[in-house]
Amino acid sequence: MEKAILYKEWIKTRIYYLLALTVSCGMVAYCIMKMRYVIEIKGVEHLWLVMLERDAVFVDRLTYLPVVIGILFAIVQFVPEMQQKRMKLMLHLPYPHFLNIAIMLLYGIGCLLICFAVHLAGIWLYTRNFLPPELYNRILLTALPWYIAGFIAYLLGAWCVLEPTWKRRVAYIAIAVAITSTCFLSTTPEVYNRMAWLLVIYAILCFFLPMLSVQRFIDGKQD
Amino acid sequence: MEHIIECRHLTHYYGKRLIYKDLSFDVPQGRILGLLGKNGTGKTTTINILNGYLKPYKGECRIFGEAIQKIAPEKRRDIGLLLEGHVQYTFMTIAQIEKFYSAFYPRWRKEAYYELMSLLKVAPGQHIARMSCGQRSQVALGLILAQDPELLILDDFSLGLDPGYRRLFVEYLKEYAVTGKKSVFLTSHIIQDMERLIDDCIIMDYGRIAVQMPVKQLMCKIHAFCYNIPEGYHHAAIDGFFPPSRIHNSIEIYSLLPIEEARRRLTDAAIPFTNLRITQPDNLEDAFIGITGKY
Repeated sequence: MEKAILYKEWIKTRIYYLLALTVSCGMVAYCIMKMRYVIEIKGVEHLWLVMLERDAVFVDRLTYLPVVIGILFAIVQFVPEMQQKRMKLMLHLPYPHFLNIAIMLLYGIGCLLICFAVHLAGIWLYTRNFLPPELYNRILLTALPWYIAGFIAYLLGAWCVLEPTWKRRVAYIAIAVAITSTCFLSTTPEVYNRMAWLLVIYAILCFFLPMLSVQRFIDGKQD
Repeated sequence: MEHIIECRHLTHYYGKRLIYKDLSFDVPQGRILGLLGKNGTGKTTTINILNGYLKPYKGECRIFGEAIQKIAPEKRRDIGLLLEGHVQYTFMTIAQIEKFYSAFYPRWRKEAYYELMSLLKVAPGQHIARMSCGQRSQVALGLILAQDPELLILDDFSLGLDPGYRRLFVEYLKEYAVTGKKSVFLTSHIIQDMERLIDDCIIMDYGRIAVQMPVKQLMCKIHAFCYNIPEGYHHAAIDGFFPPSRIHNSIEIYSLLPIEEARRRLTDAAIPFTNLRITQPDNLEDAFIGITGKY
């Protein structure tokens, strides 16, 4: 049954997912090419200098990319469940409701994890060729909260989409924006190093919010 | 006789608007019960309560003896559900949706599904989203038949279907329910379809049950009393009769009372009627209109 749930999620999201993976990998490649361009023109020493003296990380264009991918993934995955109250089909399956929604969310997290891991692995594999560990770790650690924000945005997006009433949905969107923006309080590299664990706890707590929306649907809350 | 569905004293409000009060009914094993009512009388609300998607303000529903809010997931294997508008996962193809649902139901009858699909003359790779409403209804019905449940709950199954698809749906469903001794609880706007299908009926009026009995009994007992009254005469309600419908000086009023008793009550009510004609409605739709009125 778990395989069937994953099968349904894959059918629903595969086009968006493959598109998101392709486009986002293209953006990562663009950032890498930008670094390559600096190296070609001014040499690798200049790249090091800019990174150390001007706090440049060369992947700034990726700042909001994981958030956008996460939100769109939540929309693509959960809007079809809410259209025509299709959620009833899911709730009618002979399978525990919350386990079902948990598998759907874990599927989404898994897809995002693969996508984000490909990004970070691409950056790491490329930059380790010409940067010392301190500098390529600086790039990865600076990008880490952006990617955690991607998971948070996905879970909060699911929470908002699954909410059965518009009034609450609007309120949830405002709360979701506030929570997600805590991952973008500063542009200084590695500023979140000491509190990345806090963002991870945020994300873990956010996992349970969509369940509340499903419970409200079961309770018959509607506009 | 064992009751598959037992609902007791259901009362529900949307905000301050009362949908119905003290609704109680049973669906015995092997019977087909139709819930009939005009728009807004609470048919879909009842289906939602029965499926556990809505907590009633008061009252309780039990299916297979278990309270619906706490029913074990495995028990849902024996409940087939058709949502209003034949809602299904339209992003799937005919083959994909069959593969998806088959994992949840141990008694899955793939051949029953594909038998119905063969009538549609569509390829297994056809997306449900690109099918007509009638074709989608057959997909939804095929999935229920393949599931082989003991109880079928169908919400407004005839919505959006042309006469051909409605007839096909009713015939397949009747055959399935009768041969398999399945219990069915359904709602529909199209009363003529119901007449072919149901054993028992509940006719809902706003906020209450107007009639609850086997269809055959209803059709034997119900009579229409048509007469003329003087111009300007105010026709009050009469105990034992459904609300009258009036066109100019002509009154049409229905009752389940025996003819003599009904005639006596009309006389006791001192209504100055003339030209009394007593008839029986030809079909369930006429009886339904007689009971619930013409708006």
